[in-house]
Amino acid sequence: MKKSMNGMWKIVHIPDKPPIPPNQQPTVNVLASIIDPKHANTLIRRLNQIAPLKNACHVKRIQKKHLEGGKTQLSVILCLASEDNSLLNSLPQDVQELSNSYQLSPFVTKVCKYAATSKEEWEEQCKLWPTSYHPPTYNIDGITGFSEEDSLSVLSFMKVAIELAKSGDGLIVNAAVIVDPSVQQIITNGCDQIFSWHAPMNKTCIRNDCIEQSTNLDSHQSNGVVSPVTEVLPNASPSEPESLSCAVSCLNPWKWSEQRSDMANSYYWHPLRHAAVVAIESSADRDRRLFPGLGDAEEKSFETSQSSHIVSMVKRQKTNVANVEKKEVDPPNMPSNSVPERPYLCTGCDIYLVWEPCIMCAMALVHQRIRRIFYAFPNPNTGALGSLHRLQGEKSLNHHYAVFRICVPDEVLDIAGNRKSC
Amino acid sequence: MDSHVEEGCSSETLTFMELAIEQAKDALNSLEVPVGCVIAEGGKVIASGRNRTTETRNATRHAEMEAIDALLEQWQKSGLSVSEVAEKFSTCSLYVTCEPCIMCAAALSILGIKEVYYGCANDKFGGCGSILSLHSSTSKLRNSGNIAQRKDFKCTGGIMALEAVSLLRRFYEQGNPNGMNSIAQLQPYMMHRGT
Repeated sequence: MKKSMNGMWKIVHIPDKPPIPPNQQPTVNVLASIIDPKHANTLIRRLNQIAPLKNACHVKRIQKKHLEGGKTQLSVILCLASEDNSLLNSLPQDVQELSNSYQLSPFVTKVCKYAATSKEEWEEQCKLWPTSYHPPTYNIDGITGFSEEDSLSVLSFMKVAIELAKSGDGLIVNAAVIVDPSVQQIITNGCDQIFSWHAPMNKTCIRNDCIEQSTNLDSHQSNGVVSPVTEVLPNASPSEPESLSCAVSCLNPWKWSEQRSDMANSYYWHPLRHAAVVAIESSADRDRRLFPGLGDAEEKSFETSQSSHIVSMVKRQKTNVANVEKKEVDPPNMPSNSVPERPYLCTGCDIYLVWEPCIMCAMALVHQRIRRIFYAFPNPNTGALGSLHRLQGEKSLNHHYAVFRICVPDEVLDIAGNRKSC
Repeated sequence: MDSHVEEGCSSETLTFMELAIEQAKDALNSLEVPVGCVIAEGGKVIASGRNRTTETRNATRHAEMEAIDALLEQWQKSGLSVSEVAEKFSTCSLYVTCEPCIMCAAALSILGIKEVYYGCANDKFGGCGSILSLHSSTSKLRNSGNIAQRKDFKCTGGIMALEAVSLLRRFYEQGNPNGMNSIAQLQPYMMHRGT
């Protein structure tokens, strides 16, 4: 791919909630009243005690309006209005008493129901009634934009994933690249292996076989050259390429059962070995390889050492973008007599997927504690990160990643002049 | 929607769930989150599995995935074709001590399993009714001619839920070696609807 193509590549954050036009945000009714400014402090303190704005913490209690002639007018929210919009008889008794003693004149007005998720939403909210706005509470790089350097790095990792997606024998599959962004290193990668021409996956020999396999993939890709796809021999493929020109598992996870069975005879196949699942397994293999034989006692310290590990990783100087496609290296300059700190799963790591993952893969990435997900192509029918589901906004989960789409030209998938037919 | 029955479920169901509990105990003894399962076909257990996330350092190695992999290997070794395997899955029942998470529920749907019986609900990650309902096509699935027909599976929760929860409680009380030390982490497993 040419560098000049970067101009056409764009990174877009996929938020936790479907975007709502800022001027169509849901509202709720509240009862408010104009007040004498000299009572403001007393009233607000009292109201916060007797009628706290539960479930509406983003709404400010007080509104200041500038009137003509340089005067200002203060209004406060007395309480949330009852559902049926019946006017003033819905005041709780203690609020009513307060209202009486300060001779307030309650009226009904609207405030935005949910906290703003963007500056645009917030500005729109304040036209109704002032609210507070906190940019996303989790602090994940990139949500507020990428620096030029970070963008280049992100795009280069996506290019690796795209090349990997095309590296099969004439078929396009989904591909995953797991990266440690603090050191700009590819940790591992994986492709769809529903119908695998790779070594059989055997659970009992996971330790050795899969390590071999992932090493092979690494070295294959670390050549830094685009695989000679034009020379792919269709005859070498286990089946007719045209029937499998697009075999992206996540696009239709149920399709495996419709595959012709004759192609599977001599090849191991597994309906759940989607690219993300394969990459997660490979990263776990790497973890066991780099940090072998830790006993139970030592395991107890993993969680506590996690935060300091991340800090040290962040402090580590970033390597040049030019090193991005370098082969996986062992933990940096590790003296042989010291035990390196083992990361907890994929904490701090990013994954690059060519297609938006299905719900199985998206949840697998939650389990493995991936920090950021970048995908190039949406998966309109079964995508779980904004298309069909939006797992990044599922509050009940114990881990949340940030999701980005990298908009790329469709041509990146061209193989030997054949357009993809996904 | 799934139902929650304890009384009235067949002795076969209870027998299989007891075997799943045995698997969960095995996980507990290995310092893994104690969730276990068995897969049965025609009244016989044909595969079992238990959590192996700590051992493998792969947080996706849930009991269901272990049992599924065992089955796929077994069936392929005996020479079954893709369509035969698909047919097989459609006659299998899964008995698992905790509601399958979103990932496992999606996997079970992809494989086209016939039915799932589970112990306690999983209010944090559950994919069979608690958070998402991936077993049921009444949940959203965009219609498209290109999408292979998805099959629903029947889902029944609350079977021997107390036993399942007590194992999880023991695990979290003794301290999860992999970090989840707070009793609050147990919340999703303890709160099962219908009881």
